Amino acid sequence: MTALLISLKVSLVATLVVLPPGIALGLLFARRNFPGKSIVETLTYLSLVLPPTAVGYLLLSLLARRGPLGVNALGLDLDLLFTWKGAVLASAVMALPLVVRTARIAFEGVNPRLESMGRTLGMGPMRVLWEITLPLARRGLLASGILGFSRALGEFGATVIVAGNIPGKTQTLALAIFNDIQIGRDDEARRLVGLTAVLAFVAIWISERLLSQRRKRA
Amino acid sequence: MTGGITLDLKIPLERFSLEVKWETEESSLGIFGHSGAGKTTILEALAGLRPQARGLIRVSGETWLDSSKGIDLPPEKRGAGYVPQDTLLFPHRDVLGNLLSGAHRSNGPWRRRLSFEKVLEVLELRSLKEARVDELSGGERQRVALGRALCSGPSLLLLDEPLAGMDLPLRRRILPYLIRVREEFSVPTLFVSHDASEMRLLCREVMVLEMGKELAHGRTEEVFFDASLHPVFREEVFENVLQGAVQEIKESGFLVELERDVCVLIPRGAFGGAAKVVFGLRAEDILLSLAPPVGLSAQNVLPGIIRQIRQAGQAEEQDVPVLVEVAFGRGDQRMVASITSQARSRLKLAEGSEVHLVFKAQSCRILTTR
Repeated sequence: MTALLISLKVSLVATLVVLPPGIALGLLFARRNFPGKSIVETLTYLSLVLPPTAVGYLLLSLLARRGPLGVNALGLDLDLLFTWKGAVLASAVMALPLVVRTARIAFEGVNPRLESMGRTLGMGPMRVLWEITLPLARRGLLASGILGFSRALGEFGATVIVAGNIPGKTQTLALAIFNDIQIGRDDEARRLVGLTAVLAFVAIWISERLLSQRRKRA
Repeated sequence: MTGGITLDLKIPLERFSLEVKWETEESSLGIFGHSGAGKTTILEALAGLRPQARGLIRVSGETWLDSSKGIDLPPEKRGAGYVPQDTLLFPHRDVLGNLLSGAHRSNGPWRRRLSFEKVLEVLELRSLKEARVDELSGGERQRVALGRALCSGPSLLLLDEPLAGMDLPLRRRILPYLIRVREEFSVPTLFVSHDASEMRLLCREVMVLEMGKELAHGRTEEVFFDASLHPVFREEVFENVLQGAVQEIKESGFLVELERDVCVLIPRGAFGGAAKVVFGLRAEDILLSLAPPVGLSAQNVLPGIIRQIRQAGQAEEQDVPVLVEVAFGRGDQRMVASITSQARSRLKLAEGSEVHLVFKAQSCRILTTR
């Protein structure tokens, strides 16, 4: 049960962490053209194809004592490695490409002329974002959050490297299942697999419904 | 609210470069032209949605664009009430929410309230306030878009083909709203259309645009009289737009009084009764007769005097249309008839000749009723 709670905590916080930059990047890719855009996009989507363990290793190197984001470089300890916050970081990084892609599609579904219309009615760019763009993209954005959450829930490779596999501390459902299989506790493993299946099913079902309704209205 | 409009615009487009100059004190303006002439581009440039636009835009004493001084106000600072052809209502808001979208701009709560109530009344939107946007009919959408623009307290109203894509019955229903907006709100209006009759009904001054260049501009009546002879518009038929009070509803139609003692009979069509009608009559459906005709099936005969004659091309050319403007009634009413150049020389028509305008009731079509 602690594994479930840790999983939910990590995935929820990871979703909250990844949504603002994810939505911002989605908006950027949907609405702006700038030199080097395709490079930035490719970099963003990189963790989608890299093995999660590779991403984990990169994060580990970044955060290590002598890494660019380590104690020596920053002068303060971020205290991420082998803590639940590390698991959050790993899950967030792995969820980012999915969130960006879905948010991008959500923003591309908003007619830019509606935004122009808002401008002519006296709304500044920020006001247009809050009153027109975000409300019109809300379903897609919600779906992107749910997809990000699902991705974080299943995250294993990067998490195990950055946060370790400490029962009661950083051991999420995915890690607990691995553990149980390794030590031959098949019943326990089956129970946890069933639990994750239910969680994943609900999340995907909700996001699919949100996306299909958006298509129908558009 | 007055102060006029000064335009001196250059906008590079894919197919051509749009260049227009216009300086006027008049407040109901129109841009007329075929689709693709660049009409919508001008409206978008005025609204601030065309960053490539260069030149000068001054509305009621305020400078919106002056490239020479580096002034280019963003759309939200301009105060244009843009009503695009596809209305662009906000689908996530109800009608009330849409109407109030720009209301924060109109200065002061008192004025806002005043104009908001008036907009609801003039456009008959009160009963639609809570409706969802996707439940509205085409005509209702137009009214809401128009109301939304008016509620933002605009210093210039930009109407892009508000009647395009509507069938005739719907046009007849929307047209009165446009006329009422012109009468009730003293907002300068720029109206874009490819329908000459509607333009003549709604605008006092027009510009004729073709491929991004101005062909003519000036008082509506004069411009259309001249422009309809231009090769680009020769295919189009000049339609007279007349209005009057219904004097009598007869079995055969409305007897419409254009001015005192000058009545014409027009078909009632689907209209049961009406107080005032606006109707169109094509120039080629009018016959000119030197003597008062007798024994004729046509029911309308009006005596008048030829004011102007315009001919496309050379006078010797055969088969070119000749437009004859005839003053009738006490002299301030005008009707234009289209005849051939042979007919003109056969009847020896000249400016100042006395003629009779002859036309069938069935040739008139009602544009709107009030």
